[in-house]
Amino acid sequence: MFLHAGIVLIIIAVTFAVGTYFKLGIELAMLLSALAAAIYHTGGVPVRHLVEGAFTYYDVSLIFITATLFINLVKESGGIAFMVRKIIIRFHEHRYLTLLFLTFVLMIPGALTGAGAATVLTVGTLVGTVLIYMGISETRTAAIIFLCASMSAAAPPINLWAMMAAAGANMPYVGFMQPLLVITVIGALFTMFFLGAKGENPELDKILKELPVPPEKMNWTRVGTPFLILIVLIVAGRLFPFKMPILGLPLMFLISALAMFILSPKKLNILNIAGKTIRSLIPLVGIMIVVGILIQIMALSGARGLISLAVVTLPVWFLFASLFIILPVSEGLLQYAVAPLLGVPLIFLFNMKGFNPVIILSAMAVMWPIGDILPPTAVVGRATVIELDYSGRYYKDFLKTCLIPMAFILALCTIFLVFSNQLSFLVGG
Amino acid sequence: MSSKKLIIIKLLTAVLIITALVISARSFLAHRNYKETVVAGPSVTEVKTLGDYFEPIKNTVADCNIYILDSGKPGAIFFVIGGTHPEEPAANLSAEILAENATLEKGKLIVAIRANRSASTVTRPGDAYPQFYTIKTDWGEKKYRMGDRWTNPLDSWPDPEVYVHYPSKQMLAYMDIRNFNRTWPGKKDGSFTEQVNYAFMQIIKQEKVDLFIDFHEAELEYPVISTIVAHESGRNIAAMASMMLTDMEFEKPISMEFSPKSLHGLSHREVGDYSDAISLLFETPEPFLDRVRGITDEHLLLEGKDPFVQRAGEFGLLYETIDEDGWPIEVRVGRHCSTALMVAQIWNQMNPGKEIKIKNVPKYAEIIKNGVGHYFKNPANMDSDRIYYE
Repeated sequence: MFLHAGIVLIIIAVTFAVGTYFKLGIELAMLLSALAAAIYHTGGVPVRHLVEGAFTYYDVSLIFITATLFINLVKESGGIAFMVRKIIIRFHEHRYLTLLFLTFVLMIPGALTGAGAATVLTVGTLVGTVLIYMGISETRTAAIIFLCASMSAAAPPINLWAMMAAAGANMPYVGFMQPLLVITVIGALFTMFFLGAKGENPELDKILKELPVPPEKMNWTRVGTPFLILIVLIVAGRLFPFKMPILGLPLMFLISALAMFILSPKKLNILNIAGKTIRSLIPLVGIMIVVGILIQIMALSGARGLISLAVVTLPVWFLFASLFIILPVSEGLLQYAVAPLLGVPLIFLFNMKGFNPVIILSAMAVMWPIGDILPPTAVVGRATVIELDYSGRYYKDFLKTCLIPMAFILALCTIFLVFSNQLSFLVGG
Repeated sequence: MSSKKLIIIKLLTAVLIITALVISARSFLAHRNYKETVVAGPSVTEVKTLGDYFEPIKNTVADCNIYILDSGKPGAIFFVIGGTHPEEPAANLSAEILAENATLEKGKLIVAIRANRSASTVTRPGDAYPQFYTIKTDWGEKKYRMGDRWTNPLDSWPDPEVYVHYPSKQMLAYMDIRNFNRTWPGKKDGSFTEQVNYAFMQIIKQEKVDLFIDFHEAELEYPVISTIVAHESGRNIAAMASMMLTDMEFEKPISMEFSPKSLHGLSHREVGDYSDAISLLFETPEPFLDRVRGITDEHLLLEGKDPFVQRAGEFGLLYETIDEDGWPIEVRVGRHCSTALMVAQIWNQMNPGKEIKIKNVPKYAEIIKNGVGHYFKNPANMDSDRIYYE
């Protein structure tokens, strides 16, 4: 069985490499890998397994899609431009407060959708423009946007890596709110202040000229109410669980989106926005579907077990000393697929060795999105340089500037790994 | 790429996907609608359904059979359920052995083979479970649905953001609102699974059940394994049973542990707390459920042999031993049947005058010797009024 599972793994790796070489895209390359492995293992095409696997992350995908639709409606209504302008007008003489609130704005879209790309695409350009006018270099601005986007993706309530790994380990996605919040907020604030603390106070008129103007009737009530509805719906389910009907997160996001649609001062073409949302999400939803298929075929053929076995038999000290490299690099290679592939056996190992699994998974789920700047995929890193129209060099300028904050965040996560039991008081929410 | 080529590629892709969906949909439908045959044993005096005890369940996918084996002589009333988690086949197979073979000489035995019927109509995405498994019998093969741990999302969806257990208000994993062993004692107007639990509580109350047994299996990576988990009202029976079985019948010991008072929703806690019945839960090892398992197939499910799980054991990562013999289904079903019989024996010693006398149920050694299928009767040779479908 060791040999069989090993051959399956080789087939997956080779097919994936060939697919990537021919620039098929990560989703198609992964799908072909799964197909090749399935054919080798079963001698045919196990259609039921392929389709069943495709539904593994169905609920997560629905949350992802509805949350992104909500954020896009906020953007299209002028809500985000309104918030950014208000922050600048109110705090432009207080650099640190401005940076603090801009960090908050950068955190919202990713935290609600679980995707760093959502942050880059919805608020990246707006905040980037402000940062440039605050005297921060183009390279540092790009680094801030990318790293804060990564932290926002890892921030609660939606952390897709933690959700996927927890689901694979039969572990509730409960208790992650506080540990994820602590790590990601520290990481985002360190990034913002380390790279953006120095500079001149912005000239208000110049910035306001550059930022899009929200509709005249936009105000805090209009932009705040949909967020308030979302929070109320989530909290009500916990406070009145036996009276509140079960809505599920996707419907909660849709209700909030409907509120934004109604409250928007300008008429929104909801079908057009929904269409754009789906088109922009095709690659990410595609990855989740294909990852489900791949995981199913690997479970079927024993390849998942072999990887799990290899991971759980590693010494813990080795993992502490290497996960800060392994996790980001594997994310760059496989995207969300790493969460169920490596995350699940790691949770089992650490749990069995007596470490707190919630803190452990929280730390790992912050390390993974850091790898979204690394090749071959570099999804969020590339989105950042494209969206900001960055003119510098990707590796020698952009990536290099990210290194120190990245090292800080990864070191922080490693501390959470090593001292998970001492930090277990953070588990909650 | 020209737009014409792109359209052709899109059309071909759509055709491929629709074909795959149609093929798999037929497979899912066949699995969901497959009926398992059960031959009612000699002591089965009545077969009700869950809906007889709670009307809203009637004729739904949850409306499983309730086999009543009544000796006609007053005595203790035992209620045994299998299929709480349909990915644990030793549970429903053991319950079926009881329903098809047990002869009651005193007292009453109630059996549910597929307690959470809905969960037996779906397999878990991402885990590559086989949809069916077959047991060899003396007259051919008998086919069973493989299921999941959770109620089918087709019957209960969506899940809440977090599941708050009724009535304790303890917060549990969101998907556990579909876990039949996290939703006890149930809720009359609650979620689908909570209503199923509520219906089972009505059986326990209306039939005045004295002792309730819930059959399970567990992965070897899980600490609660090879054990009897007992509500405090059943600790003496469980302790005695574990000692006797370890000493007299089993090669590998069976332990006993208390139901944690602070962990809610489980049968061993809530049935004991919300009824007069003593509540016990039995666990046997099932390597198929381990995450480090190798090839996922029917062979692993029934033979329980896996070199990857064995290797994990060599590294001290398991809570139960495993060797090249594995944990075959005969051993697992044998442990459940013998444990149930031993519990009845100890109950009788502790409750003179209110005994339950169960005969003709094979014990551990017999099941290993003859195989599980040996104890299933051929429906073709039976009167149609003795045949039921799960």
